[in-house]
Amino acid sequence: MKKLIAGAILLGASSMAFAQPGCGVGAMIWKGQSGIAPHVLAATTNGTFGNQTFGMTTGTLGCSTNQSVQSMAMYMDSNIDKVARDMSRGSGENLDTLAVLLGVEEADRADFRQVLQDNFATIFPNSETTSGEAVDAIVALLEQNKSLSKYVAA
Amino acid sequence: MGYLLRTGQAALWLAGTLATHNAFASTPENLYEHPVWLTLGHYHENRFDSGYTSQADDPAFFLSEDGKTNPKTELMATLAAIQQPGEGDDHARCRFPARDAWLREQLDLPEEPVSCPAYEGWFDTLNTEKVTLVFAASYLNSPSSMFGHTFLRLDPPQDDNETDLLLANTISYAADAAEHDSELLFAYRGIFGGYPGITSIKPYYEMIRLYNDIEHRDLWEYTLNLSQHEVDTMLAHTWEIQDKNFDYYFFDENCAYRLLALIDVARPGTDLLEEVSTHAIPSDTVRWVRDKDLVESIHYRPSAATAVSHSLESLPDEHQTIAAAIANGYVKVGDPEVQQLPAGDKARLLDATYDYVRYQSEADNWPREFAAPLSHQLLVSRSRIDNAKPIPPVKEPTVRDDQGHDTFRLSLSSGQLAHNEFTELTIRPAYHDIVDPPEGYRTGAQLQFLRLDARLYHDNDELQVEQITGVEIRSLSPRNQFFSPTSWQVGFGGRRTDTGTQRVLAPYLEGGAGGSWSLGDNSQVFAMATADLEIDDDIRRGYDFAPGADFGVLHQSPSVSLLAGIKTKAWIVSSQHRQDQLYLKANYHIGREFSLFTEFTREDHFDRYQSTWQAGIHAYF
Repeated sequence: MKKLIAGAILLGASSMAFAQPGCGVGAMIWKGQSGIAPHVLAATTNGTFGNQTFGMTTGTLGCSTNQSVQSMAMYMDSNIDKVARDMSRGSGENLDTLAVLLGVEEADRADFRQVLQDNFATIFPNSETTSGEAVDAIVALLEQNKSLSKYVAA
Repeated sequence: MGYLLRTGQAALWLAGTLATHNAFASTPENLYEHPVWLTLGHYHENRFDSGYTSQADDPAFFLSEDGKTNPKTELMATLAAIQQPGEGDDHARCRFPARDAWLREQLDLPEEPVSCPAYEGWFDTLNTEKVTLVFAASYLNSPSSMFGHTFLRLDPPQDDNETDLLLANTISYAADAAEHDSELLFAYRGIFGGYPGITSIKPYYEMIRLYNDIEHRDLWEYTLNLSQHEVDTMLAHTWEIQDKNFDYYFFDENCAYRLLALIDVARPGTDLLEEVSTHAIPSDTVRWVRDKDLVESIHYRPSAATAVSHSLESLPDEHQTIAAAIANGYVKVGDPEVQQLPAGDKARLLDATYDYVRYQSEADNWPREFAAPLSHQLLVSRSRIDNAKPIPPVKEPTVRDDQGHDTFRLSLSSGQLAHNEFTELTIRPAYHDIVDPPEGYRTGAQLQFLRLDARLYHDNDELQVEQITGVEIRSLSPRNQFFSPTSWQVGFGGRRTDTGTQRVLAPYLEGGAGGSWSLGDNSQVFAMATADLEIDDDIRRGYDFAPGADFGVLHQSPSVSLLAGIKTKAWIVSSQHRQDQLYLKANYHIGREFSLFTEFTREDHFDRYQSTWQAGIHAYF
């Protein structure tokens, strides 16, 4: 099933120009959006502009062999500010999505949320943190946790 | 593992039913006129002769040379092609799985499993159990988005914890403007045709990001009651039209239109496309889907703008002041007035402030050097508070967009212009007047299209066009300590204008910008600087221009809408006269089907006073 979910993400992503999905990806948090204007126009005629995809830059994240971690990295890259928000609150749908992507079982979800909230400052040490660094930090944290380490095993 | 089972079902269904081998002999003469075949080929009856033409504008969609205009040869070509030996992605059965399945079922063709790796992989990956029609509502300060937008979400089975709706895929149909550049050209070609329309598949979280977060549009999710078989049929047909070009037209063959066709394919006999006449406004298409009993459940997803306003409003007044102070840098996150608050209050304050800072950074381009460190401090401080009660979710509006008044309006009234009695008929195809019943529409927003006002003057039996409104857009959004939007208006068309001696129909262009402030209780006051341009050879220099101002008050409630104010314009090119107006419009709403209305205008122009009043009824269809 994990494979399937990863596939679903890749399928969706295939419309965008990804160079290396899941590895070497890192969007800076709170990067800021550019330009509302084109969207307003796009909305006028319900069109789509090809260049509205997210800026993908080559970051620090190495290519994880764990496909779930790759999926998580990809999701974080597009939604890092929302993931950070939910993480600081210890709840929220984006945190649930991370759990789904990592395949965290229902019984471990509360632990998962708690670990991420408690270690927020470790995962996001400053406002320049990239999604790649955050993913690395999450993997490192989960590896040290007895019940959660199995979800990030390579 | 539900998807494995489902693939089996789909394969069975694709293979059709067991039966005789005698295909051609048993093909009914007029099978090509079967509604399902016509729907699958996107064929529509020609307006001027008895033939058919497909809306697909892509040779790859047809197997027959003249397939675009000939459903019969297309059917024969398809029938021949799907009975060819062989398999693989290029085989007709793999390219047209929905046609294949339907023809096999109709003609009792033998079951012959076929291997289509690309299609099967795609189908399994989509892993769809339910289909949800998602409607992106209009956004207050962008009335150009007022028509809304619709797309389909393919929901995976929800019975385990291994799937997630944010990761679900969506199907959209949109103009493919990627290769083109000029924005003006985009608007023109979007309306008059010329853009290829493409069907694309994207994850739902990306759509949320675009519509909820960037365009600030609420999303309404209408889960359809399609059966698994109907869902599979829809997917099979989506595969057929995916990446095929259907020219895009803003008014009719638009995003909503193509999705209606998909639903028609999924459930034959639904005939949603029958409802489309001149235009397919997404909010109307939602109504049709609802009226055909296709909706199983409805879910509301507020936009970032709605959510942040709600978060801020849920704070007590003194905390709102602190939130504004933190966001503007007057108070630090670490300051005692924040940190000494009780944990629950502090959590809600930090949450609301963070949402606000993020919103402003995106909507108002706050500099990253300021916003990013502040965002980080807010979240770090928030992460130290465990188990705080979250801000209660945004309450779902009691009246949904699709429950608002219908958009076509017909009005009949009688009145007097300087003691000349007249009867007036108004036809307004779309969409919403600021004094129409407000429920289901954005407060303070107006968008009218192609409105015609015609008057019959009684004393000389003269029929006159009073006004033709091409487009009229108005957006009044109140300013407060957190948000400072610009209110604005723009319009063009033709209207009767007073030259001093006669009233002539003159083309006009008008616009304005200013501010609006809430009075509470569904009311707001506004002040706008305006500009008017009129062109006519009866005007002394052929045109005239007037800077001006418009001050007014607007009240909108489910039973009464009221707009009153004063306008002043200084015509400076030809007539050199001031035009001052006192106006009042009051509508009393009877449900959302009818409104009784009255209007009164007292005008001082060319040094004389003149009054117009009228009263009548609006009916919404």
